[in-house]
Amino acid sequence: MTPVHFAFSSAFMLSLSGLAFYRTHLLSAFLCLEGMMLSLFIAISLWALQLDTTGFLTSPVLLLAFSACEASAGLALLVATARTHGTDRLQNLNLFQC
Amino acid sequence: MSPYTLTIMIFGIGLGTTITLMSSHWLLAWMGLEINTLAMLPLMSQHNHPRAVQATTKYFLTQATAAAMLLFASTTNAWITGEWAIQQMTSLIPLTMITMPLTLKIGLAPMHSWLPEVLQGLDLNTGLIMSTWQKLAPFALLLQIQANNPTLLITLGLLSTLVGGWGGMNQTQLRKILAYSSIAHLGWMMLILPFSPSLTLITFITYIIMTCSTFMIFEINKATNINMLATSWAKAPTLTSLTPLVLLSLGGLPPLTGFMPKWLILQELTKQELTTTATFVAMTALLSLYFYLRLSYAMTLTMAPNNLPGTIPWRLQFKSFSMPLATTTMASITLLPIMPAMSTLLKL
Repeated sequence: MTPVHFAFSSAFMLSLSGLAFYRTHLLSAFLCLEGMMLSLFIAISLWALQLDTTGFLTSPVLLLAFSACEASAGLALLVATARTHGTDRLQNLNLFQC
Repeated sequence: MSPYTLTIMIFGIGLGTTITLMSSHWLLAWMGLEINTLAMLPLMSQHNHPRAVQATTKYFLTQATAAAMLLFASTTNAWITGEWAIQQMTSLIPLTMITMPLTLKIGLAPMHSWLPEVLQGLDLNTGLIMSTWQKLAPFALLLQIQANNPTLLITLGLLSTLVGGWGGMNQTQLRKILAYSSIAHLGWMMLILPFSPSLTLITFITYIIMTCSTFMIFEINKATNINMLATSWAKAPTLTSLTPLVLLSLGGLPPLTGFMPKWLILQELTKQELTTTATFVAMTALLSLYFYLRLSYAMTLTMAPNNLPGTIPWRLQFKSFSMPLATTTMASITLLPIMPAMSTLLKL
């Protein structure tokens, strides 16, 4: 495992554990998702740079575009949740417990 | 929702799944999954209701996490082996890392708990899309991964059938019951995946047919919990007599279609000398059968106590498009005799 591999893996795992265990606000969950996507961006672009595959260099940009779409969908859901539930705290998402 | 937006979103759902089905590169498969998820979100939250919004939020969180984990696993695979192709996964750790987010996407047992809650927050048409079409893309990816770890898949499958049977027992909400039934069926598919992928495909097709039929029956009856099923005799008497057969077919009783995949899977497991696993999974099917039986009991063998006002829906004409309902219902009752043809046609 190279240092670069270790660096992006640990960044991804840190964001993933943040998403899984810090369950207070919806916004922090979305921030953790964004952190996961950015570590993936670094991973893919460094892979392309390291192997000198110039044909692959468009894919980090595609990844960024998709993660931006995902983030905007998440923020729209944040607004919708704030309008229907009054807050963005995750403990209010409990309508289905039965 | 305006019809133009609806058209674009449904096109997006189809496009995402098609891209995933056509792709041989992990990045493209990931893009298809993302397009699919992003197009599904507006359909889920089109009725601006707290429950719909909450279900959409939960769906978005799980699907986005699963997609990111999938891409992370394939990137790790690329860093280790330098290979992005889906069908050439050889390294064991990325293989396991890829299987887990795919099972999260379709809602298998250790990561299943989002599925009943999300399905409970949707209306029945969107729930139909959610429990059939949305499973297609992750499932195709699972089928394409060669040399998967049999121990992992058998464990996941057994756990899913157990959880699916056990979780559905205490429910009175139809959509939650259908979600647990989906978990149990997907468990059967995972169980047979390392030995015979074509059997997995047969199970998947019969599951889709039976689930379509059940959702459309509930849609016609406007029923969302067990009590509301008891007035169905006044709305659609023919359907009331057919529905128990469809439900028992979901449960897997012999002369119906649902028996076919279970029979073939148990036979294949016995051929592989996994008799303990086969016995255990047959026992967990009994748990599922219990709540299907309870549904059919409540629907046909009980009568609503209000006889006079209960007959009013009889006089109303229901204008519904019944061709898909008739086709899937008949297919989910009578397809057992063509089992040899199906298992010959669907060789992978």
